[in-house]
Amino acid sequence: MLVELGHFSVVIALVLSFAGIITPLIGLKTRNATWVVVGRRAVLSTFVLITIGMFILIYSYLVEDYSVKYIYATSNSKLPIFYKVAGLWGGHEGSLLLWAWILSLYCALATLIHWKSQPVVMPYLILIESIVLTGFLMLILFLSNPFERIFPVPLDGKDLNPLLQDPAMVVHPPLLYLGYVGLSIPFSFAMAALFSGRLGEEWLKATQRWTIFAWLCLTCGILMGGYWAYYELGWGGYWGWDPVENAAFMPWLVATAFLHSTMVQEKRKMFKVWNLFLIILAFSLSLIGTFLVRSGILSSVHSFAADPGRGVFILGFVTFMLVLSFGTLMIRAPKLRSQIKMDSMVSRESAFLFNNLFFLVALATVFVGTLYPLAMEVLEFQKVSVGAPYYNAVFMPVALGLIFLMGVGPYIPWRKSSSENLKKLFVIPMLFSLGMTGLFFVAGVRKPYALAGLAVVFFVLAAIFLDFNKLASFWAKREKSNRFQGFFSAYRNNPRRITGIIIHIGVLVMVVGIIFSSMYQTEKILIMKPGEEVNLQAFQLRMANLYGVKGVNWTGQEALFDVYKEGQIITQMHPQKRFYTVSQTPTTETAIYQTKMGHLFVTIPEVAPDGSWARVRILHNPLVLWVWYGGGIMAIGAFMNIFRRVRKNRMPVTDPAGMVPEVSANIPQPTR
Amino acid sequence: MAQSKFFILIVFFFVMSVAMAQAMDEDLLQEKTKEVSKTLRCAVCQSESIWESNATLAIQMRDIIRERLIEGESPDEIRAYFISRYGDYIVFKPRFRGINILLWGGPFLLLAIGAFFLHRNLRKWTTQSTQTGPEHLNPIDEKQRKRIEAELRSLK
Amino acid sequence: MKRFETWHIFLLAGLLALVVLFYKGLWGDPTALPPVIISKPAPDITAPALLEAKNISLKAHLGKVVVLNFWASWCLECKEEHRFLLAIQKRFENNPDFVMYGVNYQDQEKLAKEYLQIHGNNFEHMVDEKGKISIDYGVYGVPETFVIDRKGIIRHKQIGPVFGDVYSNIVENVIEPLLNEPA
Repeated sequence: MLVELGHFSVVIALVLSFAGIITPLIGLKTRNATWVVVGRRAVLSTFVLITIGMFILIYSYLVEDYSVKYIYATSNSKLPIFYKVAGLWGGHEGSLLLWAWILSLYCALATLIHWKSQPVVMPYLILIESIVLTGFLMLILFLSNPFERIFPVPLDGKDLNPLLQDPAMVVHPPLLYLGYVGLSIPFSFAMAALFSGRLGEEWLKATQRWTIFAWLCLTCGILMGGYWAYYELGWGGYWGWDPVENAAFMPWLVATAFLHSTMVQEKRKMFKVWNLFLIILAFSLSLIGTFLVRSGILSSVHSFAADPGRGVFILGFVTFMLVLSFGTLMIRAPKLRSQIKMDSMVSRESAFLFNNLFFLVALATVFVGTLYPLAMEVLEFQKVSVGAPYYNAVFMPVALGLIFLMGVGPYIPWRKSSSENLKKLFVIPMLFSLGMTGLFFVAGVRKPYALAGLAVVFFVLAAIFLDFNKLASFWAKREKSNRFQGFFSAYRNNPRRITGIIIHIGVLVMVVGIIFSSMYQTEKILIMKPGEEVNLQAFQLRMANLYGVKGVNWTGQEALFDVYKEGQIITQMHPQKRFYTVSQTPTTETAIYQTKMGHLFVTIPEVAPDGSWARVRILHNPLVLWVWYGGGIMAIGAFMNIFRRVRKNRMPVTDPAGMVPEVSANIPQPTR
Repeated sequence: MAQSKFFILIVFFFVMSVAMAQAMDEDLLQEKTKEVSKTLRCAVCQSESIWESNATLAIQMRDIIRERLIEGESPDEIRAYFISRYGDYIVFKPRFRGINILLWGGPFLLLAIGAFFLHRNLRKWTTQSTQTGPEHLNPIDEKQRKRIEAELRSLK
Repeated sequence: MKRFETWHIFLLAGLLALVVLFYKGLWGDPTALPPVIISKPAPDITAPALLEAKNISLKAHLGKVVVLNFWASWCLECKEEHRFLLAIQKRFENNPDFVMYGVNYQDQEKLAKEYLQIHGNNFEHMVDEKGKISIDYGVYGVPETFVIDRKGIIRHKQIGPVFGDVYSNIVENVIEPLLNEPA
């Protein structure tokens, strides 16, 4: 009964989200704000109703109600309680419900936060968000209903896919969805700007934090997915250029480009159309990503079960959104042509433009690489595969260019810059970079790509350091304090800039991690019997034992390795090969030992049936942790940006007349 | 006598060199096997290379790559062999020919075209704006000047 | 009234192409595999026989029509097609120009022999050591069946089990015409 209640509340949510489309439309047509208030109530109730639906489903997971088909497919009585909850997003239907829930959460929050400050935007925001929500709720209720029952009721569930039985499962998908869906808020504001014709910088200012929050979630989600793949899939890498990874990466690329180019509009009031285009593209890519993942159109490790019917619906919906958003942009764009005035070819504005160009080329690389096999198949050419070797050859140079720009863009002045100016800014970083790269060359780093990467990293690092130094001494002089305090004054006075640079530092750390862990990874695959030894770098691994182990819902074998360095035993490692009995799926459990700056990584992908030998894969991944340390720094920077103190004494908030009904103040009343 | 000694010596050297070569090249061989296997798709898996995969077919393919490397084949020859058996689908690195050139060159072409247009537009925009020097702006009247000064004072 | 600029056209064309691509892609199967080796010379095989202690060589059968069937004891579809394979052999065994071999794929010798005992057998089998034969023939999985003509060219490749319509197609439209071709 309870499940039916949940189902029913989601049905009502669909009706209300449809009301969320209609009411703001009527409100705009009749110029009557009451309709917008109704729309807002609809949107808020939608959130409450979907929340109810979700909690009922989670409750049914906990009480093991296997009469629900979806729960039967993704849970089991032996499953730890932790994963019973996470099982909700362990499959297609439930994860869509999570998507819809997050969308309605964002929408409710945005209407609550901006109701007073952005009254003009509200009807459009409610309208756009409701359109998206209606699409997803229809998909959930008509084509992938998680509340569907089965009869006869199975005694026990089929179990959650063992690969998903991992702590990361609890946070990775929600984070990614928070990122994907979070882009819908700036998207809705952009659409509101287009519809209402108020194309100033207001919408950018209002959505800056939303965008960076979505960006933060997307970044963390992607990085966490990488770490998860790293230890769970056991092949020693964290990024495989899998189509579904790319689907999450593409909106990230565009969102990042957008975060940069909005700064030009805020400072110089240029590129209005361009920014609108970017945010529309970013959100469209997150919808297209959803389509790619859900339709089973591409073969991937992540793909959900294919179903053309579902695919057709999602495609229809995505097409509708594409036409709506890009169409509006095209119709409205001519009115927005801002006079572009540049004072110099070499200025921060132009650096931002090149930044955007590189981001878009990076996007095009990933986009084309992902869809090329599909295009070849549809055009009936030879079927091909595009994988890591392609991206390494094509994406990496573009990425290197982007990182180089990171050392240039933020430091050349707005408007105009003289060659003398440039010399002052960049000679020292150049020399520093050359010197450090030379040092690494002498130390034995000889791979051209690694050297090029390091050169760029050191260049940017020096540029950042010089800039920080300049800022700190400026404020120190001004406030008559020391440089350290000066730096904090700089942060207080321009938090957005400093947090941005912190994010850049995070990127640099990550790049160093990527360079070393991918180019200087050493690896061996071999068959070992207990008692045998193998050397890797400075380590000796001796397989001391190979024996059977058992868990709650799996059985398996475990190998015990004694790890020696310079004759001393430093640790023991226990990689496992598991077999999950309910779902009849094997998995490999990685053993990781953290060395000074990297990882020693051991898996046993295959064990002889009689347990006499095991196929062993050992890797040494130098500096691999820097990838996630860098990600951590990026996240800290983004956090500081979101929670920065709002500077006061800047344009007092003009409070227009009161509470709810003053939306009407901004919707022009019909003249009678 | 001398002949047989010489013969033994030759055999000895031969055996030694083979043994040495095998011992020394083992790491290099693994490295090369890895390099080649990373460019080949595990046909029975989902977007994994045969280096990463643990499927039997992938393991067997790795062994074949290893053997062919020992026989002295180049990575390209080995890839060509797998393509002749499994089609272009088996390589993660589409061959640089025919329509695939577009795939490889496309991003760089886009970068070049983008840079070209950007450069051209930047030129256009900068020349446009040089005409709007200070003398082209509306002169400020006394009232505006006072306001600006007052604002500047308040900043301090 | 004009309002159509170059970038509009590019954008619209791009979107349209994308949607068409996605729509057509929906009806394709991303896991479908292209047949590659058809109408190419069959790679030579020299492999140990499964049931007897001898080597089998494909070269010796040049001038005959050869059917190669890849199978394994753990493969469910192989069990379904097995009696049809027996039927093919029975139908052509009196023709001196016909040979059929089974290739035992990723299997254990003991299990393979048991399988043949249980399900019956009337043709010879070889062991696919280290997957060499199957990789040489571009085999993805079992069952797969190849038909090689008198000149040693692969003329037909069947992915999946040979039964029902597939069986009659292979027998009537592939093997028989090939047997009727002059050597």
